[in-house]
Amino acid sequence: MVNIHTSHRLLFILPATIYLILVFVCAIWPALIQQELDQAVPKPFPNELADRGRELYRSYNCVTCHTQQIRADHRIHKEVDGVRVVPVLKADARFGQEIATQAEEYAHHEPPLMGTQRTGPDLMSVGARLPDAQWHYWHLYNPQSVSPGSIMPPHRFLFTTTRPPADQEFDFEKVHLIKGLGVPKGKELWATPDAKALVEYLISLTREGVVQAEEAGG
Amino acid sequence: MKIPVGIPVFVAAAGTDPRFAKMVSRYLLSAGVWLIIASAVGLLEAFRLVNPELIADVEWLTFGRLRPVHTMTALFGWSSLALVGLAFYVVAKSAWLPMNEPLKKAEYFFANLALLLWNVGVGLGIVVMCGGDINSGREYREYPWYAMAPIFAAVGICGVIFYRLIARRRVEGIYISCWFVLAASFWVAIVVLMGYQTWWKVGLTDRIIDGYYIHNAVGMWFTPLAVGLTYYALPKLLNKPIYSYALGVLGFFAHLVFYTVIGTHHYIHTPIPAALQTTSVIFSVAMIVPVWASTGNFLMTMKGERLAISHSYSLPFIFVGTVGYGLASLQGSAESLPSVQEILHLTHYTVGHAHFAMYVFVTFLIWGCIYGLVPRMTGREPPVLLVGIHFWLALSGIAVYVVGLCAGGHVQGDSWVDGEPFMASVRKTIPYMVWRAVGGSLMMASHLLFFIALWRMRPGAFTMAFGDRS
Repeated sequence: MVNIHTSHRLLFILPATIYLILVFVCAIWPALIQQELDQAVPKPFPNELADRGRELYRSYNCVTCHTQQIRADHRIHKEVDGVRVVPVLKADARFGQEIATQAEEYAHHEPPLMGTQRTGPDLMSVGARLPDAQWHYWHLYNPQSVSPGSIMPPHRFLFTTTRPPADQEFDFEKVHLIKGLGVPKGKELWATPDAKALVEYLISLTREGVVQAEEAGG
Repeated sequence: MKIPVGIPVFVAAAGTDPRFAKMVSRYLLSAGVWLIIASAVGLLEAFRLVNPELIADVEWLTFGRLRPVHTMTALFGWSSLALVGLAFYVVAKSAWLPMNEPLKKAEYFFANLALLLWNVGVGLGIVVMCGGDINSGREYREYPWYAMAPIFAAVGICGVIFYRLIARRRVEGIYISCWFVLAASFWVAIVVLMGYQTWWKVGLTDRIIDGYYIHNAVGMWFTPLAVGLTYYALPKLLNKPIYSYALGVLGFFAHLVFYTVIGTHHYIHTPIPAALQTTSVIFSVAMIVPVWASTGNFLMTMKGERLAISHSYSLPFIFVGTVGYGLASLQGSAESLPSVQEILHLTHYTVGHAHFAMYVFVTFLIWGCIYGLVPRMTGREPPVLLVGIHFWLALSGIAVYVVGLCAGGHVQGDSWVDGEPFMASVRKTIPYMVWRAVGGSLMMASHLLFFIALWRMRPGAFTMAFGDRS
């Protein structure tokens, strides 16, 4: 009789087969089901600048410290006019959101930047909290100038302190100088096209459609 | 109590094929270099959490980019290469292959080729990630596909060699170490394929795969290899049989069935289907079975051997690694519970747990196996005082690190639940970030000492004089 203790063939095939079955059950099968649900969600309007900003957000790997998820408290079942509302977990209530993130919100994100660590605040709805591009420029150039005590690394390489050539000026954006920014005296501060795209992406994170859907339902 | 008297290492090493000793040694030295790079990067990141202005103006070395450089180099550079290098020795020995020719000529070629591919993959990964080509948002697979491809090929090559070695064993039964090594080589190949497939990359679909990937990359590769190697090294160093062979088999199958399905516990409280979340939590708790099957087995084998352990320079590492395996996994089971995640998920506590598992468990077992087994292959022992200092620096460093981060994570999570302004949670954790940097510095120092010890164990005149190449 073939015995796993003495047959190397069986020793290879048995754990491999069990593993493949389990992978199908716990990853592939749920993924196939989810894929259909995701694809049924209508695509949002394209925003090229924000999409480029998202690529930069990925390139600087901001997801290391910033999540994009408002977690749900599944213990509370709340219905408003027959529409089920998913309440927010207490720890996540600070971000000014009343409903947790839904599957549809991620449907066309490749990949969803949900993150696994929240050293800095959640950015799921940062555009709703902080819609001012200038604020984001100040914050990227010197986080502590607008957020005292912040341990976010400055991203000064996204800026230039010399005026760009006249024919390229449109691609750049002038940053108003504020106290504590640390720009050398007599210099100007210009956001590079990269900084513009990144900030455009951050401002686009508003969860606007979700809030509207909630109001319509409630 | 008795001190088991094994044969002296130089007797054990005599007759070993020099090509074999050199090949394994190359794997381990490569791993050692990646360990130093990974920990130097990690240390820089730790200091940056205290002083964000540190080297802040270099785009290539920005915090976000260096973080995956640290994790990926530690995982795929250091841990993987060290484990695979040791696995060659353990498989050859437990298959009772003649040590004067454990591998055939072609197998040496391919094993060295695999090492080359592996180093190319890790090195390329570091450079392109610093340059900004990061598979961001997908943890532990941040390499772009073309940096992971050589590593995948290398895993395949090593897997085939392991299979061939086991197939031509000179003993009827296949020892449990070989089970873990052979299975892990297959499992990790599937894990990497799943991580880099192109069918399920958008939307929550990607997160379902991500949960699976994160935990399977750790649990179906590092854990089985580290446990498998210990099943060989521990009885060998104590010169006695393992406490219960059947427990090992139970651990193997329970590990396979339970560990595979627990990945979604990284995404509790999210819109990922509730059935997956619940399944992952249940099996995370069930992980107590395979973990304590192995931990208990090792501890029972060590029972009554206090004197032997205290007189050995390798067994203390294995003892710490065994206890670390049991405790880190218990911590993981507890962390998976939704009510615990409410406070601790997304905090520094997770990082503390990750280091507890990968360092106290995997890295300490690797060190124990290296110090215990490499001299039996090369005939050269490391300076004992150096190893002692390495042990205590690493242990005190990781203790400060893990306790600091776990405490800091609690403070951070409590601050969120209490509804304080977000900046309060940042300010309150700064002291713990200082402890993290202190612990990291001690660990870094110990790694430098380890590398010296590793260098002193490399094959040299002894291997050439008494080695046997048939």
